[in-house]
Amino acid sequence: MSSGTEATTADRKSLAGIVRRLPLEVAGMVVIVVVAALLPAVVPEYQALQWTQWILYGLLALSLTFVWGHAGIFSFGQVAFFGIGGYTYGITAINLINRTGETFSAELAAVVVAALAAAILGYFMFYGKVGDVYVAIITLATTLVLFTFMESTAGPKYAIGQALLGGYNGMTGIPTLSYGWPGSPATPLSVTQTLAIVVGVAGIIAFGLHILLRRPFGRIVAGLRENEDRTQLLGYDIRRYRLIVFIIGGSIAGLAGAGYAAWGMFINPAVFGLQQAALVVIFVLVGGRTSLLGAFVGAILLQSLSTSLGGSDSVLTPIILGGVLIAVVMLLPQGIVPTVSAIAQRLVPQLRPRPPQLPVPTSPPEQLPLPTKSDRASPQSGPLEAIDLRKSFGGLTAVDGVSLTFAPKGVHCLIGPNGAGKSTFFNLLVGRYRPTSGQVIFSGEDITGREPYQRVRQGFGIKLQVASLYTNLTAFENMWLASYANIGNTKAATQRAIEILSWLDLIPQANHLAGTLAHGQRQWLEIGMVLAPEPVIILLDEPTAGMTREETLRTVDLVTLLGKHASVVVVEHDIEFVRQLNVPVTVLHQGRIFAQGGIDELRRDEQVLEIYLGRGGDNVEA
Amino acid sequence: MQADDLINLALSLLTNISVLVIISIGLAVIFGMMGIINLAHGEFLMLGAFATLTAVRAGLNIWIAMILAALAVGVFGLIVERLLIRHLYGRLIDSMLATWGLSLILIQGVVLIFGPSTQGIRTPLGDVRIGDYSISQYSLALIVAALVLLAIVFWVFTRTPYGIMARASTQLPSMASAVGINTSRTNMITFAFGSALAGAGGALLAPMAGVVPNMGQAYVARAFMTVVVGGPGVLTGTSAASAFLGSIERVVSSLWAPFFGQAALLLAAIVLLRFMPTGLSGRWGRQL
Repeated sequence: MSSGTEATTADRKSLAGIVRRLPLEVAGMVVIVVVAALLPAVVPEYQALQWTQWILYGLLALSLTFVWGHAGIFSFGQVAFFGIGGYTYGITAINLINRTGETFSAELAAVVVAALAAAILGYFMFYGKVGDVYVAIITLATTLVLFTFMESTAGPKYAIGQALLGGYNGMTGIPTLSYGWPGSPATPLSVTQTLAIVVGVAGIIAFGLHILLRRPFGRIVAGLRENEDRTQLLGYDIRRYRLIVFIIGGSIAGLAGAGYAAWGMFINPAVFGLQQAALVVIFVLVGGRTSLLGAFVGAILLQSLSTSLGGSDSVLTPIILGGVLIAVVMLLPQGIVPTVSAIAQRLVPQLRPRPPQLPVPTSPPEQLPLPTKSDRASPQSGPLEAIDLRKSFGGLTAVDGVSLTFAPKGVHCLIGPNGAGKSTFFNLLVGRYRPTSGQVIFSGEDITGREPYQRVRQGFGIKLQVASLYTNLTAFENMWLASYANIGNTKAATQRAIEILSWLDLIPQANHLAGTLAHGQRQWLEIGMVLAPEPVIILLDEPTAGMTREETLRTVDLVTLLGKHASVVVVEHDIEFVRQLNVPVTVLHQGRIFAQGGIDELRRDEQVLEIYLGRGGDNVEA
Repeated sequence: MQADDLINLALSLLTNISVLVIISIGLAVIFGMMGIINLAHGEFLMLGAFATLTAVRAGLNIWIAMILAALAVGVFGLIVERLLIRHLYGRLIDSMLATWGLSLILIQGVVLIFGPSTQGIRTPLGDVRIGDYSISQYSLALIVAALVLLAIVFWVFTRTPYGIMARASTQLPSMASAVGINTSRTNMITFAFGSALAGAGGALLAPMAGVVPNMGQAYVARAFMTVVVGGPGVLTGTSAASAFLGSIERVVSSLWAPFFGQAALLLAAIVLLRFMPTGLSGRWGRQL
């Protein structure tokens, strides 16, 4: 949306922000590397072997924490990518070790193949927009099919190069990690050296995710987890974000799998088994769904528990694992680490997280007119047209051939009794439904097939009937996400968010969770989020639902004001509100346009009274 | 192609489709009516198989053993619903996780009781010759059994007071409780009914598959994909998805190897969901 010169300043600004934080982040990385490098000196060899496995499981759990805990994708099949990574490492390393003498290429291959598998699976799931439960089932089923598949590859005919897949017996003779460079022939790493590498890499990945989650990407992903609909209606392509997260998670799991195959010099189909898949979920549940550190804590806790019970072959292990899974779900849905830290924070107030300080402007800006971004390139703004729109659900035709044109400026109201097709028509304009036939034209361009986020980027501002906020994020974070979608620059988005919050009189509540705001404040916050990118078409579905009379009057003023800058389409139930607005009205009835005109004129129309206002009209108007 | 080739092909296709119906109908009832996915479904199948095995070893007629097995797993499902599922309504993912934990416990519990090795029941009925082919009568019985299970589901949901109330609760939970339907009770019966169907499925598998504690793993992925591809319609969805996926699996299996058939089934399901994310019956409105 922004022009070329703007983009460069924006880039420079956000770069400055990153540079300021950089020393701390580099320092963190250095600490991790130093600690890892010191490990061989202090950890005895017999423990190193076990620790390596625990950390690798922790890394696998970390991938699930990221995908599930942070992005809300219920991937029950992280072990699929773990296993794919392990097998790929085995196949590549067995074939290459005698030629290249190193295993780096095999690790790389493992990550690439796992990422590719995640990309393909993720593409079909996220671009098909299948539901959460389906994602869980598909990922788990994929894992189990891989299990059956790899179990059936016994015998010499299932070999890739020199690597025998080995069926249920597994693949043996996988080389351990070894690195070398020209002039220095590689030697396999010792057990303690392997531990150092694994800890270093796992630490860097965990820290990298920590940094990523604090960047705008992390905030958007959090928004996605909290409220998928809202995120989409702010103009973010949620399918793409989900896919990226899934690929990152798949790559991390793949790398852990490669390490696992190298560590045990062996891999078998059990990595794709139901128990292994459950194990990762349990690690994450015990450690806490969103805690990056918790992933490792969970893995180490449970693995040491299982070792003390006699290893994974013990008869009791699965029963205890299953019991832990049920117990955590029923008793500690937050996980162990977050529960402990919540208790600690209650006992020691100093540990409580402090809200970020906002750069609140010293002098509050004027109440009206609407804050405008002067540096904005003027977006296209022609009329929005619906041409013969039709939408059927099964046998029911909810919208039956509606053609309407909304001028580039001004307010237009849509009214009608329950079941008239108002909401369906609204959703067709917004792009949440695909019409059965007909077209939606904006500025002369056919946008019928566009996703809601694409329409928002073209200048749509959308408020749905049901209040849709990120209830677990603060008011400021809500507004920031709305601003960032359009601006794409951290600092500018912060500034814009504060501008709008102060215009809405919501600065005192800026650091409150949106879910704790009063009802009216929530409505205002959401309207503010719709206005943040300065839309040219504003679609409001029952904006005054649940508002007090006073708030409704304030909304009348606001909508009237918006109509001077943009085209506003309001779907309303509240006749008093519509009368106050005093704008052109279209009455929908049984999916068709029933009448059009001014509200006073319509109130004199006998037929309209009959279908909508009820017989006798005036006594039901309130 | 001879007539006997055609008949043989058609029968093997139908058998494969019937197996999918048999292993997934219990899961589909629970998912379609309650929106819950029972991740221990594979183990419910396994319990049905072990119950049949136990009853046959005790000297019972195999068909009676199968009916008893279905009832036993139904009662087990009732207990699971009261102890576990009931506390997790409205927490979809949590209910999946809890049933997953249950599945681990069940596998190992059965290992402790029956041992980890594969056991078998002799396949009842003999073979029948069609032209050059000899076809097991039991695989024909499976086709009949699949139809019987579908008919039972249809009958229960259209002809019994419970079934009508269950469908009402699914369509409009708030209205259902407003007119006095005890949704907690209908949910309990739904879960028990779905479990009994899973038990019947496992019982029917017992003579043709090895009865072993982790046998659920071999079937549950296909059951999941059948239900997901079928969508919310219990009967229509399950039948359509079984026909679609079963045919693909059968054809690919006979061209290459059985494990390629399963992989093809999974791929076909994933590709189909890209274009029909709510499954085959998702756009047919809410029918049975």
